[in-house]
Amino acid sequence: QYIVHSWFLSFSEVVLEPFQFSLPGSDPSRGPHFTGCRSREQETFRCWWSAGIFQNLTEPGALRVFYQTKNFLSEWQECPDYTRTVKNECYFNKTFTQIWTSYCIQLRSVRENITYDEACFTVENIVHPDPPIGLNWTLLNVSRSGLHFDVLVRWAPPPSADVQMGWMSLVYQVQYRVRNNSHWEMLDLESGTQQSIYGLHTDKEYEVRVRCKMSAFDNFGEFSDSIIVHVAQIPSKESTFPTTLVLIFGVIGVVILLVLLIFSQQQRLMVIFLPPIPAPKIKGIDPELLKNGKLDQLNSLLSSQDMYKPDFYHEDPWVEFIQLDLDDPAEKNESSDTQHLLGVSRSGSSHVLNFKSDDDSGRASCYDPEIPNPEDLASLLPGHSGRGDNHPLVSRSSSSIPDLGVQQTSEVEETPIQTQPAVPSWVNMDFYAQVSDFTPAGGVVLSPGQLNSCPEKKKEEENEKKIQFQLVSDGAYTSENTARQLSASVPPSPGPEQGYQTFPTQAVEGNLWNGEYLVSTSDSQTPYLLPEAPPAPILPPVSDYTVVQEVDAQHSLLLNPPSSQPAICPHSPNKHLPAMPTMPMGYLTPDLLGNLTP
Amino acid sequence: FGLSLPAVAVLLVALLCLDPHGRVGSAPICAHGPSGCHIPSLADLFDRVIQHSARMHSLSNDLHSEFEQYFLPSKNHIGKIYRKCHTSNILTPNGKDNAQKLAREELTEVILKLLMAWRDPLFQLHQSMAHQQDFNSFSSNKALEMGDMAHELRKGVEKVAEKMRVLGMLGNSVTGLSAAEAMLPLSDSGEAMSDYELLYCFRRDSNKVQNYLKILKCRIVPEHDC
Repeated sequence: QYIVHSWFLSFSEVVLEPFQFSLPGSDPSRGPHFTGCRSREQETFRCWWSAGIFQNLTEPGALRVFYQTKNFLSEWQECPDYTRTVKNECYFNKTFTQIWTSYCIQLRSVRENITYDEACFTVENIVHPDPPIGLNWTLLNVSRSGLHFDVLVRWAPPPSADVQMGWMSLVYQVQYRVRNNSHWEMLDLESGTQQSIYGLHTDKEYEVRVRCKMSAFDNFGEFSDSIIVHVAQIPSKESTFPTTLVLIFGVIGVVILLVLLIFSQQQRLMVIFLPPIPAPKIKGIDPELLKNGKLDQLNSLLSSQDMYKPDFYHEDPWVEFIQLDLDDPAEKNESSDTQHLLGVSRSGSSHVLNFKSDDDSGRASCYDPEIPNPEDLASLLPGHSGRGDNHPLVSRSSSSIPDLGVQQTSEVEETPIQTQPAVPSWVNMDFYAQVSDFTPAGGVVLSPGQLNSCPEKKKEEENEKKIQFQLVSDGAYTSENTARQLSASVPPSPGPEQGYQTFPTQAVEGNLWNGEYLVSTSDSQTPYLLPEAPPAPILPPVSDYTVVQEVDAQHSLLLNPPSSQPAICPHSPNKHLPAMPTMPMGYLTPDLLGNLTP
Repeated sequence: FGLSLPAVAVLLVALLCLDPHGRVGSAPICAHGPSGCHIPSLADLFDRVIQHSARMHSLSNDLHSEFEQYFLPSKNHIGKIYRKCHTSNILTPNGKDNAQKLAREELTEVILKLLMAWRDPLFQLHQSMAHQQDFNSFSSNKALEMGDMAHELRKGVEKVAEKMRVLGMLGNSVTGLSAAEAMLPLSDSGEAMSDYELLYCFRRDSNKVQNYLKILKCRIVPEHDC
């Protein structure tokens, strides 16, 4: 028995064919031996031997073949038929051929009684079928280019093999090669009798051959005779077809390439053909810094620029701003401007002087820098000593004009008629001056009622004239209370109430602010236009202002007589006084105000 | 639904069982007559059987070739490994002429004997190949498949014989099947045969069966030049 061991696997590359003899004409170095046994149709078989180096055994009959079939018979028999035509061949015909039976043959030299060689086999394992016959080919098709073609190769089984009954089931193998080439192309085993070959080149000659073997056995038969397959190359008419196609595809490809190029380089082309408009830029300023920079950087940056000075817009004459009095938001609604002026304000003396507090308040249009600062005016008054009192007017009055006997606080508060000097040119004026007007900026326009000094200059006279005109006309331009009081005390008595005149032709309804109401029924002319027109009753010289001494029970003002009035400037008062009472108390327009200002 | 899957399955099965029409039974496919379906003729049966036997023989040949790779056979290895198969006791025609001269019944019986004799040894072969590590699983699967094929081939040949008997082509002398079952694969020395020996013997016997079937078909079914 044979036990399979694992170490046999290493020798697996050595495969011995089951009793595959070599060709007859074997190795001469050996002694007499069998060269092979073959069966063509599985019904008969032949064996060949050779004498080898023993030349003395070459004569026929020196070597004899004996065989034994391993059936129930165990005796050796001699070769049934030594072929006469072929040397050293033993032929076993049908009667001596048994399939599926083990045969053992021996090569003996009868004379010497030496067995030189022995071989055992079974017949089905030594079957080598005859080559197929009738090999031919037919053209299947030729490719469009005319360079390749396919053929169908046909053959017939060998006649010796009984294929119809199925005694031998054959499989075939086709081989082809280019003529005179050394390498054969092998195709797969085919059980039928035809095979197609694809992909052959035209203008090349091919050799095709076929051989067969029994299925499930390993012994191929001989090759059939080769046939030549050749197809001449036909010049194809459609050779021009690809060129036009190539042209079309080439053009399409170029177009696609151009489109891709344009789309990829779109930005650059846009710059070349449509140059961008430069964005607005400020020299020296980086827009990014403006976006992301810090405040101090921005300030330093902007301050370096000429156009961005902080107070630029203050010097712009046509820029108007509305000033908000942020200092006294509480007092805005309560007190009037006169109270502000007179120092009725509670917050302090600084508020009185705050009419022009904000330098950059932007009152350029309405603000006249030449309008005297109340502070300046206060400082110009003689004997001014800044007591820091809330009511500077009162304090000043008490010090400089003691003969007036001015009551201090209470009367002064109730009588906003007290005035103060309007312009610095009237330094020598009385302490008290009549307030003629308020500028929207908070400046005070005063009328110089009692002129202490007599301005010898013409300018001063003119100023006085203007001022007195202003004063007269603005005599009624006081608060409503005083106006009502004035109107309530109907007839002006030449006594203590000389200072103020009422216009008999006028019916003051109590609203003196409105210029319309001042229009007299008899006289349609506006009061301020005709300062000299209306005939005035002769009255004793009345000063422009006077000091209210006290208020009687009837709420009328008792004024001091203007004692200190005359002698200083005889001209001017006499000049102006008659004109003054005739001047109706009226409304001063801004243009007149502009004329009156020095 | 509150029904679980097993409950549903049980319900379905119950419905199927209760419904007489839902009962699955074995009924002949060609119950509606010969026009309903195609009953294979004897020739077709023979063709199937012959194809089957050819496949079985090629399988045995492959296994035998694989076995020979693990050996270092000498030049005349066939002679050295001559084994007496257990089926050598069965008288089989050793040639085409002998097979053609044999009666159909005998030929059929020989075929059946051979196939029956190889039922157990093939099973043995598969078992022994599966246990050895020298063979890969592919070889052992081939052995298993070979055993199954032999079994099916035997069934097929029995059907063919039955059909032939029905058609009156066979006499009633087909016997001896039971006697073939008693054979055991034993070598000369009485020991169990090795795998290689079994493969060698089966390869030969499968080739016999294939050729016998072909000859039988040629004699039963009249064909051209048979």
